Amino acid sequence: MPTIELNLRDLCSLLGRKISRERLSHALMMLGMEAEFSGDNIRLEVFHNRPDLLSPEGVARALSGFLGLKSGLPRYSVGSSRVEVVVSRDVSGIRPFIAAGVVRGVRLRDEIVASLMQVQEKLHSSMCRGRRKGSIGIYDLDRVATPIRYSSVGPGEIKFVPLDFARELTPAEILREHPKGIEYGKLLGGMRRYPLLSDSEGRVLSMPPIINSEETRVTEKTENIFIDVTGTDERLVNQVLAIIMTSLGERGFRLERVRVRYPGRTSVTPDLSPRRMRVKPDEVNAVLNLGLSAAEIVRIAKAMRYGAKKVGGAVEVLVPPHRSDILHRVDLIEDIAIGYGYDRIAPTLPRVATVGGRLDIERLSERVRWIMVGLGFTEVMTYTLTNPERNFGLVRTEGGAVEVANPVSEEHTILRTSLIPSLLGVLRENRRNPLPQMIFEVGDVVLLDEDAETGARDERRVCGMIIGEGFGFTGIRSRAEALLREMGIKFEVRPIRHPSFIGGRRGVTVVDGASAGIVGEIHPEVILGFELQHPVSAFEIKLGS
Amino acid sequence: MTKQFLPFQFLSFSGIALHDIRERLGPNEKKLIIALRDRGGRIEEVAAAAGMDQATAMRSSMVLAELGLAVIREKTVHTAELTEEGRRYAEAGLPERRVLRQIAREGEMGLASAAEACGLDEREKQVAAVWLRKRGWAEFLRMGEETRITITEEGRSFLSKELPEEKIMEEMMGGQVQCEEGDERIAVLRELERRGLVELREKTVREIRLTEDGLKLLQEGLELSEEITELTHEVLVSGRWREAGLRRYDVGIPGAPCYPAKRHPQQEVIDELREILVGLGFMEIEGRSVESEFWNFDALFQAQDHPAREIHDSLSLSVPRRAKLPRALLRRVAMAHERGVDGSTGWGYRFNPEISARAVLCSQTTAATIRYLAQHPDPPAKVFCIHRVYRHEKIDYKHLAEFYQAEGIVMDRGLSFRDMLGYLKLILEALGFERMRFRPGMFPFTEPSVEADVYHPEMREWIEILGAGMFRPEVTRPLGVRHPVLAWGIGLTRLIAIRLGLDDIRKLFSGDLSWIRGEKGG
Repeated sequence: MPTIELNLRDLCSLLGRKISRERLSHALMMLGMEAEFSGDNIRLEVFHNRPDLLSPEGVARALSGFLGLKSGLPRYSVGSSRVEVVVSRDVSGIRPFIAAGVVRGVRLRDEIVASLMQVQEKLHSSMCRGRRKGSIGIYDLDRVATPIRYSSVGPGEIKFVPLDFARELTPAEILREHPKGIEYGKLLGGMRRYPLLSDSEGRVLSMPPIINSEETRVTEKTENIFIDVTGTDERLVNQVLAIIMTSLGERGFRLERVRVRYPGRTSVTPDLSPRRMRVKPDEVNAVLNLGLSAAEIVRIAKAMRYGAKKVGGAVEVLVPPHRSDILHRVDLIEDIAIGYGYDRIAPTLPRVATVGGRLDIERLSERVRWIMVGLGFTEVMTYTLTNPERNFGLVRTEGGAVEVANPVSEEHTILRTSLIPSLLGVLRENRRNPLPQMIFEVGDVVLLDEDAETGARDERRVCGMIIGEGFGFTGIRSRAEALLREMGIKFEVRPIRHPSFIGGRRGVTVVDGASAGIVGEIHPEVILGFELQHPVSAFEIKLGS
Repeated sequence: MTKQFLPFQFLSFSGIALHDIRERLGPNEKKLIIALRDRGGRIEEVAAAAGMDQATAMRSSMVLAELGLAVIREKTVHTAELTEEGRRYAEAGLPERRVLRQIAREGEMGLASAAEACGLDEREKQVAAVWLRKRGWAEFLRMGEETRITITEEGRSFLSKELPEEKIMEEMMGGQVQCEEGDERIAVLRELERRGLVELREKTVREIRLTEDGLKLLQEGLELSEEITELTHEVLVSGRWREAGLRRYDVGIPGAPCYPAKRHPQQEVIDELREILVGLGFMEIEGRSVESEFWNFDALFQAQDHPAREIHDSLSLSVPRRAKLPRALLRRVAMAHERGVDGSTGWGYRFNPEISARAVLCSQTTAATIRYLAQHPDPPAKVFCIHRVYRHEKIDYKHLAEFYQAEGIVMDRGLSFRDMLGYLKLILEALGFERMRFRPGMFPFTEPSVEADVYHPEMREWIEILGAGMFRPEVTRPLGVRHPVLAWGIGLTRLIAIRLGLDDIRKLFSGDLSWIRGEKGG
């Protein structure tokens, strides 16, 4: 989950009140945020469906309602600017959507700059999916001549000085040489033309989603800001813009709308109008069972910074534009529960009359475990994730297995098809401990199966293994026999070829005419391969039908 | 008044009846008692008398002392020996004594000439001067360059009197002198030690003697007989055990450590949870290791570009590559994603069935409960699943790529969020957690969602242990489920690590046999 850093004093100044650390920490937790204080710094963990909380302004906005300092829909002063963005037809196949806005009269104190950079970065990595779905640009409006053009450019067509550079580069050079170009260039991979934001005098603002120009950089002297969000999802670019703009709105700056002219249509952004949602007290109470009246719901919704009023028997809720997480009435109802206070909700118990029970295979597995312990074997539990060398190579077998496409390490690239290598691995781990050692595992192997819905199926098995002299084939066979006898299974053992075992000292256990497992003395090559120096014997038997 | 019962009259002072004591005596203890009959004394003397080595005598003495038959007294003995200088003075007399005799004969004379007359060297002259003055045997008169001395009354009285130092030095001419603690001579020896005439050493010696009980036992008679250590077949059938006593063991001595074969500690907790859930009326359902992205994510309303679906979060497969999909359900789920259901806005993107068909390693057991709901859309349903799940995670002391998860759902008419909390409370209490708290949570497939923390009294902190919520309509409606579904999930392996007090979660899959058997802690 995303984390943000904020400053206690800044937060209190946004709240307009000094709040104790304890009270703050509890309120944040009951709002679903986890706070870690160190001095005046707060590290805050935020749910990733709440991008509106990725800035101190957004956190203060939520807290102010929860702490009873403010109530209802947040209000910002929003006017019209004369700024226009003209979208050219050629971006439609590249990065088709743009939303933009203007913020005037800003005074960029250090914490505001830090917050602005943080919210931009956090939105990029979370909601914007690493700038793929959306990317944000912030510019000094007074260095830009409007209208602004959103168009495309060839890799060598123009040159401009990218942020933090001293010389002009072409778009192709930026992708090769600029750190951001190297990091995000893959988002433009395979494209012949790149998105470009420029002004009416041909000055470059940015090459989304890679880098802004140095020339339009925001400095501490900047008074008016132009913000754009470009991307592949129109709903998302509007939401991202709304989150950034309203964050600045919380600082009391003046927000202004921008006209975005697409070929054939015009949209005005940011759209900060709330969405209407209607919820009935019956529905709220059906989910929460708190017996809330319409008036109580209105009060709580307002404390959660929604607009709310009673309309007939229902409550009409106005969802502010930064709450992109509200998809359905249940999202609203959860906020009612949060506003009510999770710590105040008394648990109840329903009367659902059911009979519980274990799976047959689990019941059988437990019985097998007890029998094995009774026979003196100690249980081990090992990973199903393994690699071909261990699963096949070291035990001299071959075959197919479930293969991971994106393994974390070379150790774990497939799922095991036998328990024997897993247990040999355990013996290797314990090779300096006294002998004999008798171990077993009851666990799943995963086998490829074309008939299975997912192409593979789990199979429960038991594997018993002994290392030490004096056990051999008859020793392990008598124990496998004891297990099957205790399980009430009739079986016979027939010779079999199997490269993991010694010829003439290996057999297949046959139950009802079908092979159910294998028993024998492990082949010396296999023993030595696992860095062991004493005889090993083992059986592996399938459990369940 | 009833007759008083006096059990103690049959007991020895140590609280054990004498005949019992006799039973507890080995041959060595018996030999020692006999050796002590005539006299107690130092352990080495007694050992010699009993014909055993000192260590054995000491062990047996301790047994006797414990039984109240003997007392062992420890004391410090000072051993003194003359030094080279001491030996010279012992023979020729102390320098001050020699000068005293000289001035008694000659009257007043110069110190230097007196010393010369006595044959003292320069250093001995100084020693004599110091001690004559200290003992008040002579008066010193400074006359120009020369110091003259005359004998005092005190000095005269010592002409015929021996100093204690002189007495003991004489004694030491014959060899070492030993003094026990409390002996007055120790102070004299220390004085001589300070003068460098004597070397003093301390040593602890033990003395043993019989008590009244010991003597009584001896008077009643002791029988010395052969002992058998191991009761063998031969000893049994030959009847030899009747004549020879079986050696008595000290039953207080710990045996060699021995560990039983065991079930795995992780499995024990898994079975405990299984028992709790069955007791609460949950029916167990199967999980699976390989899932389709459809059941693992899509059916749970996790958008196809959700971060949890990216390659750095779940493990995708190259073999098998594709899973079969339930066509009709796929369409309904796609609709919920694209445009929403029941008034939801949905995610507003183009759903891709190709992504749904991709095979992955199951990353959440919720996939199993969703499968169950799809097959059993009618109430009531109350099922759980315990299975391994897989994550794209670098393994370290607190992260695993493969671990156990437990998941449960309850579906019925009229269930509420408060009922959800009720179940969580029941489960956590059954797991032995007394203090818990609920706070908001976030899961893509539940709303409202809740996290449950429990208080760990030893770690003194709140631990996040369980996530839960009510399935969203976007999850239930496409499955044809019309009633509320309560769902909860536990990161079981992590809970087990906490329960077992492990600092390193890898231990649970390590195959460390000595840990599993309980030979060493986590």
